[in-house]
Amino acid sequence: MKSGYLALAKVYACLGLFAIALLCNAPSLAQPQAGAVSGTLGATGSDSMAGLMLRWSEALTAHYPEVTLQFLAGGSASAPTALMAGTTRLGPMSRRMTPNERDGFTARYGYPPLELRVARDALLIVVHRHNPLQALTRQQADAIFSTTLSCGAPAPIRRWEELMGPSQWPHGRIALHGRNLASGTYGLFEERALCHGRFRPDISEYPGSSAVVAAVGESFAAMGYAGFNHLTPAVHALSLMTDSGDVVPAEERTIQSGDYPLSRYLYLYVNAPPGHPLPAAEAALIRLMLSSEGQEIVRAAGFVPLASDELERQRRLASLEAS
Amino acid sequence: MSAFRRFASPLDLRRFKDRLATGLITAGGITVLVAILAIGIFLVGETLPLLRLPETLALAKLSPLLFGTFKAALAALLFAVPVALGAAIYSALFMSPRLRSRIKPTMEMMEAVPGVVIGFIAGLVLAPWVERHLLSTLMVIVWLPVSAALIGVLWYRLGHRLRRRLSLASAGLWLVPWLGLMMALALWLAPSLEQLWFGNDLPLWLERHWGLDYTTRNTLIVGIAMGFAVIPSLYSLADDALADVPAALLEGAQALGASRWQSLWRVALPCAGPGLFAALMIGIGRAVGETMIVLMTSANMALVSANPFEGLRSVAAAIAIELPEAAPGSLTYHVLILAALVLFLFTFIVNTLAELVRQRLRRRYRLLGGK
Repeated sequence: MKSGYLALAKVYACLGLFAIALLCNAPSLAQPQAGAVSGTLGATGSDSMAGLMLRWSEALTAHYPEVTLQFLAGGSASAPTALMAGTTRLGPMSRRMTPNERDGFTARYGYPPLELRVARDALLIVVHRHNPLQALTRQQADAIFSTTLSCGAPAPIRRWEELMGPSQWPHGRIALHGRNLASGTYGLFEERALCHGRFRPDISEYPGSSAVVAAVGESFAAMGYAGFNHLTPAVHALSLMTDSGDVVPAEERTIQSGDYPLSRYLYLYVNAPPGHPLPAAEAALIRLMLSSEGQEIVRAAGFVPLASDELERQRRLASLEAS
Repeated sequence: MSAFRRFASPLDLRRFKDRLATGLITAGGITVLVAILAIGIFLVGETLPLLRLPETLALAKLSPLLFGTFKAALAALLFAVPVALGAAIYSALFMSPRLRSRIKPTMEMMEAVPGVVIGFIAGLVLAPWVERHLLSTLMVIVWLPVSAALIGVLWYRLGHRLRRRLSLASAGLWLVPWLGLMMALALWLAPSLEQLWFGNDLPLWLERHWGLDYTTRNTLIVGIAMGFAVIPSLYSLADDALADVPAALLEGAQALGASRWQSLWRVALPCAGPGLFAALMIGIGRAVGETMIVLMTSANMALVSANPFEGLRSVAAAIAIELPEAAPGSLTYHVLILAALVLFLFTFIVNTLAELVRQRLRRRYRLLGGK
């Protein structure tokens, strides 16, 4: 019995020594080495950009072995909160900051956050790969997904027959699939495709775009919306018809130029006091993001690179701030 | 080590240890109580900002969730209660003790299957299968109880010799092949019946003739999947309550000439009634709080409809999906916290009620001379 207590005491003593050793070592681990670009970058934000941030951080570490990027994916809404609280200086977001969020930041720091566009993304309306439907007008898309008909459709569309005529397959009710209420994708679709209207209540909601695509790929009578980077061969994306009658396919060219109506920018917000140069590690990350290599990574992650003139504008914006 | 020298005798040391253990346990208990209280206070505090908003808004957002929660729980209980109660009555009162000692732990082991696994299988395997074979599923659900009753009638008509071979105490074993056969029969018949009556596509027929929409993941799937999750705890508690009915009561009833059936209905069930009620409460509590199964099998549609083939959205699933993405301080966030508060209060009350009833039952059994 007593030897048991002795052993326990020894274990605790060892643990204590170990903790002290760790504490003594920690500062020397974190100390930056002069000269080389180094340090740990923290970023908090959009989880649809998590894969992209991971690829960028790998490339960054390949160039500067002393730099690591730690990304906390908590959704776009978590970025302004973290920036304001000062727990991070980099906030990737899949939507623009709302005026409220921007004002909150400005009130806290006295200057607005630096807003950089780093990539383009789009929402696709997808159907089963064998579905013969090729294109929708915006009014039809609204009539299928909303109760409000804000885009000007005369009546809601509930069945495939109303969309394609009775001789075409599939038949029956259109089974709708989409994202959950709090996601940025839901909000963007509501704003752009439903003309700020409201979704029907009988849409199956999933916590991720891949789940939506998988569900649509399983069922002939299904239709859903998902992010561009989640497209798989199980589904095909519908083209959208503009009011002038042009059919705009959902592809890289039209998304880059903004002709495809459901496209958007992806942003990086930086807490950058004007007149001060950015820390070297942050500047390196931003240079990488806006380099041609960084934009190639954007494509590899399933998003769409910026158009060259837009890229040039963002580079100027970033370097202006850095100088 | 020298600290222990202070104790003059081993007895003192033991008393010290006893006191230490009692103190630690009390402290643990108080910590748990404080934690529960703190959860409640946090939820109430986070809900207060909603009071400044027009009340109807929060209610309008919350009511489909509450409706969905109870619809899911009802579906699960409709599936689980007959199965679990039937199994408990049979295993506690009729089954041979040897068989029971093996069956009961097996049933209780089902409880160890994580909800996420049940949800995964039900959502990704069962739901698409049921959509393609809806009539088969419905036929199996209706036909299995009917065929069990059928074999009961047949058994009663059997000769004495055969009846002794197929004893009631081991019915759990010889029923299995019979039910398997009946299930195969239903599955074999269903496609031709569907062709004959419903134009080969029951969901489409339902939609055309009765206007009932069908979604792949729907209340039926939720009921089956969550029913499976609820059955073990329901069964286990109900079985305990029934098995603890003092033997003297049942023997007395039979000595007075009551049949098995009469002693079951008139003595065992009323006597164990509070225990069965407690089991039901625990089952409801589990069904209402269950998250992963509902999330993966219910399609998360915030609908208010009685259609069993449409999806639903439960409070727990909505919290799991939306809260990580809801901006703190936004309306969605506060509504979700309110939903969490409602869920917390409900399960708290239901579980407390069940525990109180069970304590009363234990006292009653003691008075009646049971364990």
